[in-house]
Amino acid sequence: MTRVIRCCFVVTVFVGLTSSSSIAADKPDFSRDVLPILSENCFKCHGPDGNERKAGLRLDQEDAVFAELDSGATAVVRGKSGESELIARITSGDADLKMPPVDSGKKLNKREIQIIKQWVDSGAEWAKHWSFVPPKKPALPKAIDGWRVSNPIDLLIHDKLKAAKLAPEGRTDKETLIRRVTLDLIGVPPTIKEIDDYLADNKPGAFERVVDRLLQSKKYGEHMGRVWLDAARYADTHGLHLDNERQIWPYRNWVIDAFNKNQPFDQFTIEQLAGDLLPKARLDQRVATGFNRCNVTTSEGGSIDEEYYVRYAVDRVETTSTVWLGLTAGCAACHDHKFDPLTQKEFYQLFSYFFSLTERAMDGNALLPPPAVKVPTPDQTAELADLNKQIAAARAEVVKIVKASVDGYKDPTPDAVLGELQEEEVTWFDDALPEGAPNEGNEGANSWKFVSAPDHPVYSGKKSFLRKATGAGITQHFFSRVKKKFKLGANDRLYAYVYLDPKNPPETIQLQFNNGTWEHRASWGADKAFRAGANNASNRVIGKLPEPGKWTRLEVTAASVGLPAGSELQGWAFTQVGGTVYWDKPGRLSREGLAEDQAKSIAVWEQYRKKVKTPALPKPIQAILDVEAAKRNDAQKKQLLEHYIRNVNPATKKSIAGPVQDEAGLKGKIDALNKAIPSTLVMEDRKDKRQAHILERGEYTKKRDKVSSAVPAWISPQVEGSPENRLGLAKWLVKSDHPLTSRVTVNRYWQHFFGTGIVKTSEDFGVQGERPTHPELLDWLAVDFVENGWDIKRMHKQLVMSATYQQSSRVTPEKVAVDPNNRLLARGPRFRLDAEVIRDQALAVSGLLVETIGGPSVKPYQPAGLWKPVGFGGSNTSVFRQDKGEKLFRRSMYTFWKRTVPPPSMSTFDAPDRETCKVRRARTNTPLQALVLMNDVQFVEAARKFAERIIQEGGNSEKDRATFAFRSVVSRYPSKSELSALLSLYKEYSTEFKATAGSADQFLKIGESARNEKLDANELAAWTMVAHVVLNLSESVTRG
Amino acid sequence: MNLFRESELIETRRHFFGRAAGGIGTAALASLVNPNLFADSSAESPATGGLPGLPHFAPKAKRVIYLFMSGAPSQLDMWDYKPQLMEWFDKDLPDSVRNGQRFTTMTSGQKRFPIAPSIFKFHPAGSNGTYVSEALPHTAGIVDDIAVIKTINTEAINHDPAITYIQTGSQIPGRPSTGAWMSYGLGSLNHNWPTFMVLHSTVNGGFGGQALYARLWGSGFLSTRHQGVSLRSTGDPVLYLSNPNGMTAKMRRRMLDELAKLNRERYAEVGDPEIQSRIAQYEMAYRMQTSVPELTDISDESESTLKMYGDEVKKPGTFAANCLLARRMAERGVRFTHVFIRQWDQHGNLPRDIRRQCGIIDQPCAALINDLKQRGMLDDTLVIWGGEFGRTVYCQGGLTKNNYGRDHHPRCYTKWMAGGGIKGGVDYGKTDDFSYNVVENPVHIHDLNATILHCLGVDHERLTYKHQGRDFRLTDVHGKIVQEVLA
Repeated sequence: MTRVIRCCFVVTVFVGLTSSSSIAADKPDFSRDVLPILSENCFKCHGPDGNERKAGLRLDQEDAVFAELDSGATAVVRGKSGESELIARITSGDADLKMPPVDSGKKLNKREIQIIKQWVDSGAEWAKHWSFVPPKKPALPKAIDGWRVSNPIDLLIHDKLKAAKLAPEGRTDKETLIRRVTLDLIGVPPTIKEIDDYLADNKPGAFERVVDRLLQSKKYGEHMGRVWLDAARYADTHGLHLDNERQIWPYRNWVIDAFNKNQPFDQFTIEQLAGDLLPKARLDQRVATGFNRCNVTTSEGGSIDEEYYVRYAVDRVETTSTVWLGLTAGCAACHDHKFDPLTQKEFYQLFSYFFSLTERAMDGNALLPPPAVKVPTPDQTAELADLNKQIAAARAEVVKIVKASVDGYKDPTPDAVLGELQEEEVTWFDDALPEGAPNEGNEGANSWKFVSAPDHPVYSGKKSFLRKATGAGITQHFFSRVKKKFKLGANDRLYAYVYLDPKNPPETIQLQFNNGTWEHRASWGADKAFRAGANNASNRVIGKLPEPGKWTRLEVTAASVGLPAGSELQGWAFTQVGGTVYWDKPGRLSREGLAEDQAKSIAVWEQYRKKVKTPALPKPIQAILDVEAAKRNDAQKKQLLEHYIRNVNPATKKSIAGPVQDEAGLKGKIDALNKAIPSTLVMEDRKDKRQAHILERGEYTKKRDKVSSAVPAWISPQVEGSPENRLGLAKWLVKSDHPLTSRVTVNRYWQHFFGTGIVKTSEDFGVQGERPTHPELLDWLAVDFVENGWDIKRMHKQLVMSATYQQSSRVTPEKVAVDPNNRLLARGPRFRLDAEVIRDQALAVSGLLVETIGGPSVKPYQPAGLWKPVGFGGSNTSVFRQDKGEKLFRRSMYTFWKRTVPPPSMSTFDAPDRETCKVRRARTNTPLQALVLMNDVQFVEAARKFAERIIQEGGNSEKDRATFAFRSVVSRYPSKSELSALLSLYKEYSTEFKATAGSADQFLKIGESARNEKLDANELAAWTMVAHVVLNLSESVTRG
Repeated sequence: MNLFRESELIETRRHFFGRAAGGIGTAALASLVNPNLFADSSAESPATGGLPGLPHFAPKAKRVIYLFMSGAPSQLDMWDYKPQLMEWFDKDLPDSVRNGQRFTTMTSGQKRFPIAPSIFKFHPAGSNGTYVSEALPHTAGIVDDIAVIKTINTEAINHDPAITYIQTGSQIPGRPSTGAWMSYGLGSLNHNWPTFMVLHSTVNGGFGGQALYARLWGSGFLSTRHQGVSLRSTGDPVLYLSNPNGMTAKMRRRMLDELAKLNRERYAEVGDPEIQSRIAQYEMAYRMQTSVPELTDISDESESTLKMYGDEVKKPGTFAANCLLARRMAERGVRFTHVFIRQWDQHGNLPRDIRRQCGIIDQPCAALINDLKQRGMLDDTLVIWGGEFGRTVYCQGGLTKNNYGRDHHPRCYTKWMAGGGIKGGVDYGKTDDFSYNVVENPVHIHDLNATILHCLGVDHERLTYKHQGRDFRLTDVHGKIVQEVLA
C-alpha cells in the first residue's frame, strides 16, 4: 500500500459553538443555527461525500432534503414537523430508528432537536452555508448616544454590545494607544520622541497623523510581510531529509516591497499564484511566484518521483485553499469532503493547476532546484553591462592585433626541418582558479585565497595563493572538477611553485591530483598527510621540504603517481600539515615542446603538429591540416594562418598578452558578479501538461478518472474567457463577487489588529468552522475592501481608526463574566507579542537594530550544538555557523529558518514550524519563554546596549534615567512605586557589582557588540540589570 | 473578585507543568498557593493539566520511555531468526515472496536480489526460548520482561516519511508527535519538569546518521506547550537555563522578586490574568535552574547501578548515560521521555556496523529494564524499543559470506515493549521464511500507537483534537489494540 495522504475525520462528541448568538425564539436561521447541528451530527452519512451516503439522503442540498426518499418518506415537509421523517427519526424512541445511531457517538440534545423542529415548523427556509453566499453590505445600525463612533465598524460592534447589555470602554490613554498602533503596524515600539510628539499634538487628527506616518514606514512592509510568510510557509531550507539550504529570499524581498508600495490584494494574489503566466511577465512578477515554491521538498535516496509530485501539488492546493478560500480542501484528497460540498473530483481539478510544473520531484539538495531566476539589483545589472562592454573591447583589441600580424606575416624559415622536440611548460592556471572549478577545502567556499604583492610573495602573474593551517591536522584546498580537463602527454612532469613562510613553516606539503579518483599524491617533508606510510602511486614520498623563504619548484613525474600519458586531470589539491604556504603557477612540463625560434615558422609548426597531437586542435583546424598543403584553398590557408598567429606565433602572443590577460581578468569579474547575483525559486509550467487523475484514497499509485484544471464552480463560476491555468485560478479567486476571498482576507487583518478573527477559525470558513461573531461587520468589511480596489493600507487604517480599536483594554470582572474571551469587544484587545516582535523590540530599544530592509537570511546567536545532534552528516546545514557584526542585529524576519531545527528563541514564543501553511498562531505562556528572556545572549546584550542609551540619553538624574528606560519599552511614564522600585534596584545592583570585583566586567562581556568603555563598569552593569528587568516585564511582551 | 480567582486558576492550571500554583515561589501569588503542594518538589505528583475525563480508564503505565533506533535496525540480524536461509545464500528472492512490494530507488536498479542470510548466531533466551542474536547478550537476559513483536509494518519506505509516520501518525509533516499527544491528553506528573523530554545519543563520541526533525517531538497543531524539550549533554542542558556570566543566583532572585512585584502592580491596574500566569512561569523557570542540574548530576547513583549500565554511562550524551537519565526523569514524573540513537541505516557493511550499534545499546537497554524493575517502577513505566521500518532479506550491494548490506523494508520488522501494561516473555507475530511478509498477527504502526495509548489508559479513538473542522487522532482512522501483548 502506498498511502500518499492519510487524512480523515473522526467521530467525537462536539461541544457547542461559542459564537452562536441568541436564537430568535420561533424562527431559527438555517445557516447559523441549523446547519451546524446537521453538519456535526448527520453529514458523515448524509452529507456531501457520495461514497458514505446512507438511505440516499443528503442533508446538505436543498432539493434532496425536500424530495421523496427511496423509502417513500420525505425528510422535511415545510411547516409540518409531524410529517417530516427527519423529525420522526431524531425524536424516535426506537433504538433501531433513532438518529443519529448510537454507534456513531453522536447525540442531539433537547435544544438541538427543538431548533430543528422549529425550523421545520417555521417553513424550513433553506439557505446556503453563510460563507458560500457573496457578501452584501448590511444596513448600518444607528449610533448609540454617548458611545464614540469613528466609522461603521463601531456601529456594527456597538449593535452587538447593546444586545449583550455591555458598553464599550472609553478611548485608552495616548501612550498606550501609540504603543499599540506602532507595534501593530510596524512591529517595533514607538521611540520616546514619537511618543512625545504625539502627546504634544493636541490638534484634531493627531492620531491619524501617527497612523499615516506608520503606514509610510518601510518597517510596515517588513511587519506585514512577516505575518504573510507564515501563510506562505517561507523558510531557508528544503524541510525534508537533508534539509539543505534553499535560496528564495528574493521572494521575501518581494513580499516586503508589495506591502510597502501598497499593492492591491487582487494583484498581490495574481502575481504570487500566477505571475509567470502574465503576458510579458516582468522579473518581479516571476519572483512573486515563489509563494508556491516554499513548500517542503525532498531528495532522500530511495524516494519515488511520482509520490512526491503528488505531495507537492497537494500541499499547494491545501495552502492556496487555506489562504484564499478559508477551506480545508485537503480533506477532499482522499474522499469527497465530509462537511463542505467540495468533491474529490474538484480537489483534483484544483490539484491539476499545480501538477504540471517544470520542477523535479527530487530537489537534488540544491540551493536552487529549478525553475529559478536570477534577480540582479539595478547596480548589478549596470555593472554587468559595463564589464561586458570592457571585455568586448579587450577582445576587439586582440582581433585587431591578430589581423595586423596576419597581414604582415612572412614565414622566416619556410624550408626549415623540425628536428628534435623540446621541453615546454604548460601552465594550468595562474591568478585564478581554472574555469568551472569550485572553491573547495577546509573552509568551504572560502578555502582558496589569492593574494598579491607586495604584502605577499608572488612568483608569477599578479597573484599567488595562500593557505594558513586551520588546526593541528591536515589542511587542504582543492577543486574537484573543471570545465576543461587538463590532458597529460607522454613523460610529462607535474609541477607547482611553492614558498614556505619562514616564520611558520609546515611539517608536510602534499600535491594531489584527480583524474576521477584522488589516489595520486606526492609528499614532501614529514610523511604525515594522506596515505602516510605508503610510498606508491597513491602517496609518492619525494623528499625533504624545500628551504623556507624562497620560491622553489616542486616536480613529480606524472607516471610515478599513476598518471600515464592521456590522463585527464579534473582536480588538484594542495595539502599541508601546519604552517603557512604560498603556491603559484601549477602546470605540467611537456617533453613534446616546440622551441621559440621554431614557433616563429608556420611551416615548422605544421610539421610539429603532425607529430604531436595533444592538446587536440579545434576540429576545423585539424581538418585543414589533414588536407595536403598544396590542395588547400585560400580560405583554408587564411583560417590556418589566423589560428597559427593567434595561438602559436611568439611575437603575436607577446603583443596580445596584455589584452588577453585583461579579458581573463574581466571574465573572472563577470563570473564572480554572476555568482553574486542572487537567484530565487519560481513557478513555471511544463509545455506538455502532466495529466492529473483522481487518486483513490489519495494514493499516487491508484489513478482513477482523468481530470483537467477547473475551479469549484459552486463557490463561484469561472471568470469568463480566463485561461485553464493558474492565472485563471488566480483571477477567479479575486473576482469581485467571490464569496470567500475578501471575507477570509479581511478576517485575517481583523485577527492581526484585534487578536482573534471575527471568524475565530481563520483557516476554516467551511461548515465546520466557527461562525462569525459579527457576520454583518465581516460582510461590510469584505465588500468595502473590494469596492475600494482591495486597498490593504486603507483597510488597515480603517481598522485602527475605529473607536473599537482605540478602546482601553482594561479588564473588569463584569465584562469577563459576560464575555470572557472578549469576542464582543467591549474592551480593547490585549495579547502577547509575537516572537519576532519581542526580539525586535529589544533590539530597537537597545539601538542595535539594523535598519536595512531585505536581503539574504542571517544567523544571529543561538545556543551551540543544536543542529549537529539531529542533522544528516552530509547536509550543508548540519553545522551552525553564527554570523558576526550587523547580521546579529537584523529584524527577526531575516533569521535563517532551518525547518527541521527552527531558531529556538522563536519557536519558544510560538512561531510556527514553517513546514505547512499557518494563518493563525498560538499564544502560550511558558517557563521556557521566561528562560529566553532571562538568559538568551541576544536579550542580555540588548539590555547592556539599552543601558548605554539610558546613561547617555536618559538624562543626568537616576530618576530621569529610570523613567527613560521604562518609557522606551512600555511607552508610558512609570508610576511612583514603579519608579522607586527601579531606582532601588539600581542602587542595590550598583552596590553589589562594586562589592564583587570583576563581576561587572564579566557581565558586560556578554554579546559581541562593543561596550562603551568610557562608561563606568559598575554603573553600566547596574543599569543593564534595570534594563533587563524592564525588558522582562509582562507589560513589555504584551500589546495592551 | 471570585470570578477572577477562578479564571486565573483555569489559566494557570493548563500551563505546561500542570498546576501552576505548585510552582509559585513565596514571592509571587502568595494568596493563591496551597502550601501542601510544596511538600516535595522532587517527586511525582498527581497528574495536572490534562483533558477532563482522561485517562479514559485505569492506566497500567503512567509514563513512557521510548528508545528510538533511528535508521531502522535489521530485524534479520537481531530478532527474526531464519536459520533456513543459509540454504538460500546468494539465491534470488522469489518473485512470489516479493509479491509486488515496491523497491526504493536505491535498489530498484539492481539486476539481482540475492538473499543474504544473517551472519549472526541466535540463541534461545528466556523461559519461552525466544531466539535472540548473539549481538544482544544482555538483552537476551531480559526476554522474560519484554514482549517482542516481529510483525510491525508500515507503508513508508524512506526514512523521513517513515519516522514522521511512526511518531505522528502521518507521513507528511504537520501532525503532533506521540509525546505531544500525551502531554495534551494526560497532562503533567510533576511541577519542575516539562512533560515531554527528548535526548539525543552520541555514537562513538559523535553525531551522524539519518537526520532527525523537530517535528518528531513537535506539537503540530496542538499548543506549542506540548512540544518535547531537549535535554542536552553539552552546553545548557535545557536551553537558556544558566544565568549570564557575572549574574549571581542572588542577583537573579532579587531581579525576579522585583519583576514579580512590578507585574503584580500592573495586574492590579489592568486585571489581565495572563500577567498572573507569567509571574508563575518565571518562578518555574527559576526552579528549573536548580532542578535540571540536580537531575543531570548522577553522583548520587550507586556504583552498582552505574556498573549495570556499563562504562559509557559516565560519558554525558552516550546512549547509556541517556538511559540512566531517562530513569531519573521517570522518577521525577516526566511523562514521556524519548531517547534517540542514530546510525542504524546499514545499506552496506552491515555485520560490522550492527555489531557496533548493538554493542552500544545492548547493555544499557537491559540495565534500564532491570533498574526500573529493582525500583518497582517497571510496573507503571512503559518502555518501547525499535526503529521506523525493517531491512530487506536481499542484499544491497556486493554479497559475500562475511559481508552484506540491506535496503529498507516496510512489510515487517521487530520492536519490543516492556513494563506498564505489557506481558513479559511474549514472542508475538510470525513472518515468512524470508522475514519479508507477515504470516500471522500483523501489527501496523497505528496498532502499536493504539496499544501504547491503551497502556496509558487512553482510548486512542477518543483522544482527539479538532483542527480545521476535523477531529484528528494519533492513529488517524486506524489502529487496533494488540491484546496479546497486554498483561
